Amino acid sequence: MLVIGENINASNSKVAEAIANRDEEFLAHLAKAQASAGANVIDVNAGSGHGSLERAIADGKWLIQVVQAAVDKPLAIDSDSAEVIKAVLKEYTGERPLINSITAEPERLESIAPVVAEREASVVALAMGAEGIPPKVEDRLAACERIMEHLAGLDIEPKRVLFDPLVLPIAVDTSQGMVTLRTIEEIRSRYPDAGVVMGLSNISYGLPKRKLVNRAFLLMAAYAGLDAVIVDPLDTKAMSLIKVADMLTGKDPSCRAYLRAHRKGDIVD
Amino acid sequence: MPENMIDQIRENVIQGRVSSDDEGMEEGMAGQPGVTELVEQALESGVPIRDIVSKGLSGGMDIVGKKFEAGEYFIPDMLASAEAVGAAMDILQPRLAKSGIKTKGTVIVATVKDDLHDIGKNIVTILLRGAGYVVKDLGNNIDTQVIVDAVRDEKPEFLGLSALLTSTMARMEDVIRSLEENGLREQGKIIIGGAPVSDEFARSIGADGYGADGFQAVAVVEALTAEET
Repeated sequence: MLVIGENINASNSKVAEAIANRDEEFLAHLAKAQASAGANVIDVNAGSGHGSLERAIADGKWLIQVVQAAVDKPLAIDSDSAEVIKAVLKEYTGERPLINSITAEPERLESIAPVVAEREASVVALAMGAEGIPPKVEDRLAACERIMEHLAGLDIEPKRVLFDPLVLPIAVDTSQGMVTLRTIEEIRSRYPDAGVVMGLSNISYGLPKRKLVNRAFLLMAAYAGLDAVIVDPLDTKAMSLIKVADMLTGKDPSCRAYLRAHRKGDIVD
Repeated sequence: MPENMIDQIRENVIQGRVSSDDEGMEEGMAGQPGVTELVEQALESGVPIRDIVSKGLSGGMDIVGKKFEAGEYFIPDMLASAEAVGAAMDILQPRLAKSGIKTKGTVIVATVKDDLHDIGKNIVTILLRGAGYVVKDLGNNIDTQVIVDAVRDEKPEFLGLSALLTSTMARMEDVIRSLEENGLREQGKIIIGGAPVSDEFARSIGADGYGADGFQAVAVVEALTAEET
Protein backbone atom coordinates (compact mmCIF):
# COMPACT_ATOMS: atom_id res chain seq x y z
CA MET A 1 0.00 0.00 0.00
CA LEU A 2 1.35 3.39 -1.01
CA VAL A 3 1.30 5.71 2.00
CA ILE A 4 0.68 9.39 1.30
CA GLY A 5 1.44 11.47 4.39
CA GLU A 6 -1.33 14.00 4.98
CA ASN A 7 0.10 16.11 7.79
CA ILE A 8 1.37 19.14 5.86
CA ASN A 9 -2.04 20.63 5.21
CA ALA A 10 -3.15 24.17 5.98
CA SER A 11 -6.51 22.90 7.22
CA ASN A 12 -4.53 21.98 10.35
CA SER A 13 -4.29 25.26 12.28
CA LYS A 14 -0.71 24.64 13.50
CA VAL A 15 0.45 24.07 9.92
CA ALA A 16 -1.44 27.16 8.73
CA GLU A 17 0.27 29.21 11.43
CA ALA A 18 3.70 27.82 10.51
CA ILE A 19 3.11 28.72 6.84
CA ALA A 20 1.97 32.23 7.74
CA ASN A 21 5.05 32.73 9.97
CA ARG A 22 7.39 31.10 7.43
CA ASP A 23 8.42 28.64 10.16
CA GLU A 24 10.74 26.52 8.07
CA GLU A 25 11.99 24.44 10.99
CA PHE A 26 8.52 23.24 12.06
CA LEU A 27 7.49 22.23 8.55
CA ALA A 28 10.81 20.59 7.62
CA HIS A 29 10.58 18.57 10.82
CA LEU A 30 7.01 17.51 10.02
CA ALA A 31 8.12 16.36 6.56
CA LYS A 32 11.07 14.39 7.94
CA ALA A 33 8.99 12.77 10.67
CA GLN A 34 6.48 11.50 8.10
CA ALA A 35 9.21 10.19 5.82
CA SER A 36 10.91 8.28 8.62
CA ALA A 37 7.55 6.89 9.77
CA GLY A 38 7.14 5.24 6.38
CA ALA A 39 5.36 7.74 4.14
CA ASN A 40 6.13 7.05 0.46
CA VAL A 41 4.77 10.39 -0.74
CA ILE A 42 4.39 13.64 1.22
CA ASP A 43 1.24 15.64 0.46
CA VAL A 44 1.75 19.41 0.48
CA ASN A 45 -1.26 21.70 0.83
CA ALA A 46 -0.54 25.36 1.59
CA GLY A 47 -4.20 26.41 1.77
CA SER A 48 -6.05 28.89 -0.34
CA GLY A 49 -4.52 32.14 0.92
CA HIS A 50 -7.85 33.12 2.56
CA GLY A 51 -9.31 33.76 -0.84
CA SER A 52 -6.31 35.65 -2.26
CA LEU A 53 -4.81 33.80 -5.23
CA GLU A 54 -1.53 35.75 -5.02
CA ARG A 55 -1.08 34.73 -1.41
CA ALA A 56 -2.06 31.12 -2.12
CA ILE A 57 0.59 30.94 -4.85
CA ALA A 58 3.26 32.61 -2.71
CA ASP A 59 2.52 30.27 0.21
CA GLY A 60 2.49 27.21 -2.04
CA LYS A 61 5.81 28.06 -3.70
CA TRP A 62 7.53 28.73 -0.41
CA LEU A 63 6.16 25.56 1.18
CA ILE A 64 7.15 23.23 -1.68
CA GLN A 65 10.73 24.54 -1.51
CA VAL A 66 10.91 23.91 2.22
CA VAL A 67 9.52 20.38 1.96
CA GLN A 68 11.61 19.26 -1.01
CA ALA A 69 14.76 20.53 0.70
CA ALA A 70 13.87 18.51 3.81
CA VAL A 71 13.01 15.10 2.35
CA ASP A 72 13.97 12.96 -0.59
CA LYS A 73 10.44 11.71 -1.34
CA PRO A 74 8.02 12.42 -4.16
CA LEU A 75 5.59 15.18 -3.22
CA ALA A 76 1.88 15.52 -3.87
CA ILE A 77 0.93 19.04 -4.96
CA ASP A 78 -2.45 19.49 -3.28
CA SER A 79 -4.73 22.41 -4.12
CA ASP A 80 -8.27 23.24 -5.24
CA SER A 81 -6.88 25.76 -7.67
CA ALA A 82 -5.34 24.99 -11.08
CA GLU A 83 -3.40 28.27 -10.93
CA VAL A 84 -1.81 27.31 -7.62
CA ILE A 85 -0.91 23.81 -8.89
CA LYS A 86 0.73 25.24 -12.02
CA ALA A 87 2.71 27.85 -10.10
CA VAL A 88 3.86 25.43 -7.40
CA LEU A 89 4.90 22.79 -9.96
CA LYS A 90 7.37 25.29 -11.45
CA GLU A 91 9.25 25.24 -8.13
CA TYR A 92 9.16 21.46 -7.86
CA THR A 93 12.41 19.83 -8.99
CA GLY A 94 11.48 16.19 -8.33
CA GLU A 95 10.84 13.85 -11.24
CA ARG A 96 7.29 12.62 -10.96
CA PRO A 97 5.00 14.80 -8.94
CA LEU A 98 1.58 13.61 -7.86
CA ILE A 99 -1.06 16.22 -8.61
CA ASN A 100 -3.91 16.27 -6.10
CA SER A 101 -6.47 16.51 -7.65
CA ILE A 102 -8.75 16.57 -10.68
CA THR A 103 -12.47 15.84 -10.96
CA ALA A 104 -14.78 15.22 -13.92
CA GLU A 105 -15.71 18.90 -13.83
CA PRO A 106 -14.86 20.15 -17.36
CA GLU A 107 -13.12 23.34 -16.16
CA ARG A 108 -10.89 21.41 -13.81
CA LEU A 109 -10.11 18.73 -16.39
CA GLU A 110 -9.22 21.30 -19.03
CA SER A 111 -7.03 23.37 -16.74
CA ILE A 112 -5.18 20.63 -14.84
CA ALA A 113 -4.94 17.65 -17.23
CA PRO A 114 -2.53 19.42 -19.64
CA VAL A 115 -0.19 20.08 -16.70
CA VAL A 116 -0.31 16.40 -15.79
CA ALA A 117 0.61 15.53 -19.37
CA GLU A 118 3.38 18.09 -19.64
CA ARG A 119 5.11 17.14 -16.37
CA GLU A 120 4.51 13.38 -16.82
CA ALA A 121 2.90 13.59 -13.43
CA SER A 122 0.61 11.15 -11.67
CA VAL A 123 -2.78 12.47 -10.66
CA VAL A 124 -5.43 11.85 -8.02
CA ALA A 125 -8.83 11.73 -9.75
CA LEU A 126 -11.87 12.28 -7.56
CA ALA A 127 -14.95 10.28 -8.60
CA MET A 128 -17.15 13.37 -8.80
CA GLY A 129 -18.26 16.08 -11.23
CA ALA A 130 -19.57 19.61 -10.88
CA GLU A 131 -22.54 18.51 -8.77
CA GLY A 132 -20.54 17.42 -5.75
CA ILE A 133 -20.01 13.91 -4.43
CA PRO A 134 -22.57 11.59 -6.04
CA PRO A 135 -24.38 9.46 -3.45
CA LYS A 136 -24.61 6.51 -5.87
CA VAL A 137 -21.98 4.09 -7.20
CA GLU A 138 -23.01 4.42 -10.87
CA ASP A 139 -22.71 8.21 -10.83
CA ARG A 140 -19.24 8.01 -9.29
CA LEU A 141 -18.23 5.52 -12.00
CA ALA A 142 -19.64 7.80 -14.70
CA ALA A 143 -17.37 10.57 -13.38
CA CYS A 144 -14.38 8.17 -13.52
CA GLU A 145 -15.26 7.34 -17.12
CA ARG A 146 -15.35 11.02 -18.14
CA ILE A 147 -11.97 11.58 -16.50
CA MET A 148 -10.41 8.52 -18.17
CA GLU A 149 -11.66 9.57 -21.60
CA HIS A 150 -10.25 13.05 -21.20
CA LEU A 151 -6.87 11.82 -19.93
CA ALA A 152 -6.62 9.21 -22.70
CA GLY A 153 -7.03 12.06 -25.20
CA LEU A 154 -3.83 13.57 -23.76
CA ASP A 155 -1.97 10.22 -23.82
CA ILE A 156 -1.93 10.01 -20.03
CA GLU A 157 -1.69 6.30 -19.21
CA PRO A 158 -4.10 4.71 -16.71
CA LYS A 159 -1.20 3.69 -14.47
CA ARG A 160 -0.58 7.38 -13.73
CA VAL A 161 -4.09 7.78 -12.37
CA LEU A 162 -5.03 7.22 -8.73
CA PHE A 163 -8.80 7.18 -8.41
CA ASP A 164 -10.34 8.38 -5.17
CA PRO A 165 -13.75 6.65 -4.79
CA LEU A 166 -14.67 9.31 -2.15
CA VAL A 167 -16.08 8.72 1.27
CA LEU A 168 -19.14 10.32 2.86
CA PRO A 169 -19.80 10.14 6.60
CA ILE A 170 -21.51 6.95 7.73
CA ALA A 171 -23.14 9.00 10.54
CA VAL A 172 -25.24 10.86 7.99
CA ASP A 173 -26.07 7.96 5.65
CA THR A 174 -25.37 4.37 6.66
CA SER A 175 -25.36 3.14 3.03
CA GLN A 176 -22.19 5.14 2.29
CA GLY A 177 -19.66 2.58 3.55
CA MET A 178 -20.83 0.05 0.97
CA VAL A 179 -21.12 2.75 -1.74
CA THR A 180 -17.41 3.50 -1.37
CA LEU A 181 -16.42 -0.18 -1.19
CA ARG A 182 -18.43 -1.10 -4.30
CA THR A 183 -16.98 1.91 -6.15
CA ILE A 184 -13.48 0.65 -5.32
CA GLU A 185 -14.33 -2.85 -6.63
CA GLU A 186 -15.79 -1.48 -9.85
CA ILE A 187 -12.85 0.87 -10.51
CA ARG A 188 -10.50 -2.08 -9.94
CA SER A 189 -12.27 -4.23 -12.52
CA ARG A 190 -12.80 -1.47 -15.12
CA TYR A 191 -9.34 0.13 -14.94
CA PRO A 192 -7.00 -2.62 -13.74
CA ASP A 193 -3.90 -0.50 -14.42
CA ALA A 194 -5.08 2.52 -12.44
CA GLY A 195 -4.63 2.81 -8.68
CA VAL A 196 -7.21 3.50 -6.00
CA VAL A 197 -6.49 5.92 -3.15
CA MET A 198 -8.64 6.97 -0.24
CA GLY A 199 -8.52 9.38 2.67
CA LEU A 200 -9.33 7.71 5.95
CA SER A 201 -10.92 10.31 8.15
CA ASN A 202 -14.19 11.23 6.41
CA ILE A 203 -16.02 7.97 7.12
CA SER A 204 -16.09 8.55 10.88
CA TYR A 205 -17.25 12.19 10.94
CA GLY A 206 -19.78 12.74 13.74
CA LEU A 207 -19.07 9.45 15.54
CA PRO A 208 -17.23 8.61 18.78
CA LYS A 209 -13.93 6.62 18.67
CA ARG A 210 -13.24 7.84 15.15
CA LYS A 211 -9.82 6.20 14.78
CA LEU A 212 -11.29 2.75 15.42
CA VAL A 213 -13.88 3.32 12.68
CA ASN A 214 -11.21 4.64 10.28
CA ARG A 215 -8.94 1.65 10.81
CA ALA A 216 -11.74 -0.89 10.35
CA PHE A 217 -12.74 0.80 7.11
CA LEU A 218 -9.12 0.75 5.91
CA LEU A 219 -9.09 -3.05 6.17
CA MET A 220 -12.39 -3.40 4.31
CA ALA A 221 -11.17 -1.06 1.57
CA ALA A 222 -7.91 -3.03 1.29
CA TYR A 223 -9.98 -6.15 0.56
CA ALA A 224 -12.02 -4.24 -2.04
CA GLY A 225 -8.82 -3.25 -3.84
CA LEU A 226 -7.41 -0.08 -2.27
CA ASP A 227 -3.73 0.39 -3.03
CA ALA A 228 -2.90 3.82 -1.67
CA VAL A 229 -4.00 5.67 1.42
CA ILE A 230 -3.86 9.31 2.52
CA VAL A 231 -3.12 9.03 6.21
CA ASP A 232 -1.24 10.41 9.20
CA PRO A 233 1.97 8.33 9.06
CA LEU A 234 2.66 9.22 12.69
CA ASP A 235 -0.41 7.16 13.70
CA THR A 236 1.49 3.98 14.56
CA LYS A 237 -1.66 1.86 14.84
CA ALA A 238 -2.85 2.88 11.38
CA MET A 239 0.62 2.24 9.94
CA SER A 240 0.67 -1.20 11.60
CA LEU A 241 -2.70 -2.03 10.08
CA ILE A 242 -1.50 -0.98 6.63
CA LYS A 243 1.27 -3.60 6.96
CA VAL A 244 -1.32 -6.14 8.13
CA ALA A 245 -3.63 -5.30 5.23
CA ASP A 246 -0.83 -5.79 2.69
CA MET A 247 0.00 -9.13 4.27
CA LEU A 248 -3.59 -10.39 4.43
CA THR A 249 -4.29 -9.42 0.80
CA GLY A 250 -1.27 -11.32 -0.48
CA LYS A 251 0.88 -8.28 -1.25
CA ASP A 252 3.64 -9.13 1.23
CA PRO A 253 5.52 -12.26 0.05
CA SER A 254 6.64 -14.46 2.97
CA CYS A 255 5.20 -11.76 5.29
CA ARG A 256 8.63 -10.10 5.04
CA ALA A 257 7.54 -6.48 5.41
CA TYR A 258 5.28 -7.27 8.36
CA LEU A 259 7.96 -9.25 10.18
CA ARG A 260 10.65 -6.70 9.41
CA ALA A 261 8.44 -3.99 10.90
CA HIS A 262 7.76 -6.19 13.91
CA ARG A 263 11.48 -6.76 14.53
CA LYS A 264 12.02 -3.01 14.41
CA GLY A 265 9.28 -2.62 17.02
CA ASP A 266 7.02 -0.73 14.60
CA ILE A 267 3.99 -3.04 14.84
CA VAL A 268 1.58 -1.84 17.52
CA ASP A 269 -1.60 -3.68 18.48
CA MET B 1 -54.52 12.16 29.66
CA PRO B 2 -53.52 14.73 26.97
CA GLU B 3 -50.50 15.70 29.08
CA ASN B 4 -49.48 12.07 29.16
CA MET B 5 -49.74 11.82 25.35
CA ILE B 6 -47.57 14.89 24.90
CA ASP B 7 -45.03 13.43 27.29
CA GLN B 8 -44.99 10.26 25.20
CA ILE B 9 -44.50 12.22 21.97
CA ARG B 10 -41.64 14.15 23.54
CA GLU B 11 -40.05 10.98 24.88
CA ASN B 12 -40.23 9.30 21.46
CA VAL B 13 -38.72 12.33 19.73
CA ILE B 14 -35.82 12.00 22.17
CA GLN B 15 -35.65 8.28 21.37
CA GLY B 16 -35.66 9.11 17.64
CA ARG B 17 -38.53 6.75 16.78
CA VAL B 18 -40.64 7.60 13.69
CA SER B 19 -42.95 4.58 13.98
CA SER B 20 -43.56 1.43 16.02
CA ASP B 21 -41.06 -0.54 13.89
CA ASP B 22 -38.15 1.58 15.05
CA GLU B 23 -35.60 0.73 17.68
CA GLY B 24 -35.07 3.55 20.12
CA MET B 25 -31.93 4.96 21.61
CA GLU B 26 -32.57 2.57 24.45
CA GLU B 27 -33.20 -1.12 23.93
CA GLY B 28 -36.53 -2.90 23.82
CA MET B 29 -38.76 -0.14 22.44
CA ALA B 30 -39.64 -1.70 19.08
CA GLY B 31 -43.35 -2.53 18.90
CA GLN B 32 -44.46 0.42 21.03
CA PRO B 33 -46.06 3.31 19.14
CA GLY B 34 -43.62 5.84 17.64
CA VAL B 35 -43.99 9.59 17.07
CA THR B 36 -46.25 9.32 13.99
CA GLU B 37 -48.70 6.90 15.67
CA LEU B 38 -48.72 8.96 18.85
CA VAL B 39 -49.41 12.18 16.93
CA GLU B 40 -52.36 10.52 15.13
CA GLN B 41 -53.71 9.30 18.47
CA ALA B 42 -53.27 12.74 20.05
CA LEU B 43 -55.16 14.39 17.17
CA GLU B 44 -58.02 11.89 17.56
CA SER B 45 -58.20 12.60 21.28
CA GLY B 46 -58.44 16.31 20.55
CA VAL B 47 -55.07 17.40 21.91
CA PRO B 48 -54.46 20.93 20.53
CA ILE B 49 -52.04 20.98 17.56
CA ARG B 50 -50.20 23.90 19.12
CA ASP B 51 -49.36 21.78 22.17
CA ILE B 52 -48.28 18.80 20.07
CA VAL B 53 -45.85 21.02 18.18
CA SER B 54 -44.48 23.22 20.94
CA LYS B 55 -44.51 20.91 23.97
CA GLY B 56 -44.16 17.55 22.25
CA LEU B 57 -42.02 17.97 19.12
CA SER B 58 -40.06 21.15 19.86
CA GLY B 59 -39.81 20.20 23.52
CA GLY B 60 -38.22 16.91 22.53
CA MET B 61 -35.79 18.53 20.08
CA ASP B 62 -34.69 21.02 22.76
CA ILE B 63 -33.62 18.12 24.94
CA VAL B 64 -31.93 16.38 21.97
CA GLY B 65 -29.98 19.60 21.34
CA LYS B 66 -28.81 19.70 24.96
CA LYS B 67 -27.75 16.05 24.83
CA PHE B 68 -25.83 16.74 21.60
CA GLU B 69 -24.06 19.73 23.13
CA ALA B 70 -23.16 17.65 26.18
CA GLY B 71 -21.55 15.00 23.95
CA GLU B 72 -24.10 12.38 25.01
CA TYR B 73 -25.77 12.29 21.58
CA PHE B 74 -23.98 11.97 18.23
CA ILE B 75 -24.99 13.04 14.74
CA PRO B 76 -26.93 9.82 13.93
CA ASP B 77 -28.96 10.24 17.17
CA MET B 78 -29.78 13.82 16.30
CA LEU B 79 -30.77 12.96 12.72
CA ALA B 80 -33.07 10.15 13.92
CA SER B 81 -34.88 12.59 16.23
CA ALA B 82 -35.13 15.24 13.52
CA GLU B 83 -36.54 12.63 11.14
CA ALA B 84 -39.24 11.73 13.68
CA VAL B 85 -40.20 15.40 14.02
CA GLY B 86 -40.20 15.82 10.23
CA ALA B 87 -42.56 12.84 9.83
CA ALA B 88 -44.89 14.29 12.49
CA MET B 89 -44.86 17.70 10.77
CA ASP B 90 -45.90 16.03 7.49
CA ILE B 91 -49.04 14.83 9.30
CA LEU B 92 -49.65 18.16 11.01
CA GLN B 93 -48.87 20.61 8.18
CA PRO B 94 -52.24 20.38 6.33
CA ARG B 95 -54.12 20.82 9.61
CA LEU B 96 -51.91 23.72 10.64
CA ALA B 97 -52.71 25.47 7.39
CA LYS B 98 -56.45 24.81 7.82
CA SER B 99 -56.56 26.05 11.38
CA GLY B 100 -54.75 29.23 10.36
CA ILE B 101 -51.72 28.65 12.58
CA LYS B 102 -48.73 30.29 10.91
CA THR B 103 -45.43 28.51 10.47
CA LYS B 104 -42.46 30.15 12.13
CA GLY B 105 -41.24 31.41 8.76
CA THR B 106 -39.46 30.43 5.58
CA VAL B 107 -35.71 29.86 5.34
CA ILE B 108 -33.81 29.60 2.06
CA VAL B 109 -30.51 27.73 2.37
CA ALA B 110 -27.67 27.30 -0.12
CA THR B 111 -23.99 26.39 -0.32
CA VAL B 112 -22.29 29.19 -2.26
CA LYS B 113 -20.80 29.07 -5.79
CA ASP B 114 -17.76 26.79 -6.36
CA ASP B 115 -18.35 24.97 -3.07
CA LEU B 116 -19.68 21.42 -3.38
CA HIS B 117 -19.99 20.64 0.32
CA ASP B 118 -23.51 20.02 1.51
CA ILE B 119 -23.45 17.83 4.61
CA GLY B 120 -23.48 20.72 7.09
CA LYS B 121 -26.15 22.57 5.13
CA ASN B 122 -28.30 19.42 4.99
CA ILE B 123 -28.08 18.93 8.75
CA VAL B 124 -29.10 22.56 9.33
CA THR B 125 -32.02 22.04 6.90
CA ILE B 126 -33.26 18.97 8.77
CA LEU B 127 -32.99 20.68 12.16
CA LEU B 128 -34.76 23.85 10.98
CA ARG B 129 -37.61 21.74 9.60
CA GLY B 130 -37.67 19.92 12.92
CA ALA B 131 -38.00 23.28 14.65
CA GLY B 132 -41.07 24.17 12.56
CA TYR B 133 -39.64 26.34 9.78
CA VAL B 134 -40.43 25.89 6.09
CA VAL B 135 -37.05 25.36 4.44
CA LYS B 136 -36.26 25.71 0.77
CA ASP B 137 -32.88 24.11 -0.02
CA LEU B 138 -31.35 25.50 -3.23
CA GLY B 139 -28.49 22.96 -3.14
CA ASN B 140 -24.73 23.42 -3.42
CA ASN B 141 -22.49 25.36 -5.84
CA ILE B 142 -25.25 27.96 -6.25
CA ASP B 143 -24.67 31.13 -8.28
CA THR B 144 -25.03 34.39 -6.40
CA GLN B 145 -27.66 35.49 -8.92
CA VAL B 146 -29.75 32.35 -8.31
CA ILE B 147 -29.73 33.06 -4.56
CA VAL B 148 -30.70 36.71 -5.13
CA ASP B 149 -33.54 35.65 -7.46
CA ALA B 150 -34.81 33.13 -4.89
CA VAL B 151 -34.86 35.82 -2.18
CA ARG B 152 -36.78 38.13 -4.51
CA ASP B 153 -39.32 35.45 -5.49
CA GLU B 154 -39.81 33.57 -2.22
CA LYS B 155 -39.50 36.50 0.20
CA PRO B 156 -38.06 34.33 2.99
CA GLU B 157 -37.68 35.54 6.57
CA PHE B 158 -34.17 34.01 6.59
CA LEU B 159 -31.36 33.22 4.20
CA GLY B 160 -28.77 30.64 5.34
CA LEU B 161 -25.43 30.49 3.48
CA SER B 162 -22.87 27.72 3.84
CA ALA B 163 -19.21 27.41 2.74
CA LEU B 164 -16.60 24.87 3.77
CA LEU B 165 -13.59 26.33 1.96
CA THR B 166 -11.50 29.39 2.73
CA SER B 167 -11.53 30.02 -1.02
CA THR B 168 -15.35 30.18 -1.22
CA MET B 169 -16.28 31.93 2.02
CA ALA B 170 -15.76 35.27 0.24
CA ARG B 171 -18.79 34.40 -1.94
CA MET B 172 -21.00 34.93 1.09
CA GLU B 173 -20.03 38.57 1.06
CA ASP B 174 -20.76 38.70 -2.70
CA VAL B 175 -24.29 37.47 -2.00
CA ILE B 176 -24.88 40.10 0.69
CA ARG B 177 -23.52 42.93 -1.50
CA SER B 178 -25.65 41.73 -4.40
CA LEU B 179 -28.77 41.67 -2.21
CA GLU B 180 -27.98 45.24 -1.14
CA GLU B 181 -27.55 46.39 -4.74
CA ASN B 182 -30.91 44.86 -5.60
CA GLY B 183 -32.64 46.49 -2.63
CA LEU B 184 -33.31 43.08 -1.06
CA ARG B 185 -31.06 43.19 2.00
CA GLU B 186 -33.94 44.17 4.28
CA GLN B 187 -36.11 41.31 3.01
CA GLY B 188 -34.87 38.91 5.69
CA LYS B 189 -32.09 38.03 8.10
CA ILE B 190 -28.93 36.37 6.82
CA ILE B 191 -27.15 33.67 8.81
CA ILE B 192 -23.96 31.90 7.77
CA GLY B 193 -22.07 28.76 8.72
CA GLY B 194 -19.28 26.39 7.70
CA ALA B 195 -15.88 25.28 8.97
CA PRO B 196 -13.83 28.40 8.06
CA VAL B 197 -16.55 30.84 9.13
CA SER B 198 -16.64 32.63 12.49
CA ASP B 199 -18.79 35.09 14.38
CA GLU B 200 -16.22 37.76 13.61
CA PHE B 201 -16.32 36.97 9.88
CA ALA B 202 -20.15 37.11 9.97
CA ARG B 203 -20.04 40.60 11.45
CA SER B 204 -17.34 41.75 9.02
CA ILE B 205 -19.44 40.92 5.95
CA GLY B 206 -22.67 42.28 7.44
CA ALA B 207 -24.51 39.01 8.12
CA ASP B 208 -27.03 38.91 10.98
CA GLY B 209 -25.85 35.73 12.64
CA TYR B 210 -23.52 32.73 12.70
CA GLY B 211 -24.08 29.14 13.79
CA ALA B 212 -21.11 26.91 14.67
CA ASP B 213 -23.21 23.75 14.27
CA GLY B 214 -26.77 22.73 13.35
CA PHE B 215 -28.30 23.35 16.77
CA GLN B 216 -26.60 26.72 17.11
CA ALA B 217 -27.94 27.67 13.68
CA VAL B 218 -31.47 26.88 14.89
CA ALA B 219 -30.86 28.79 18.14
CA VAL B 220 -29.68 31.86 16.19
CA VAL B 221 -32.72 31.72 13.89
CA GLU B 222 -35.04 31.33 16.91
CA ALA B 223 -33.40 34.30 18.67
CA LEU B 224 -33.71 36.50 15.57
CA THR B 225 -37.37 35.41 15.15
CA ALA B 226 -38.06 36.39 18.77
CA GLU B 227 -36.45 39.80 18.18
CA GLU B 228 -38.75 40.44 15.26
CA THR B 229 -41.98 39.70 17.14
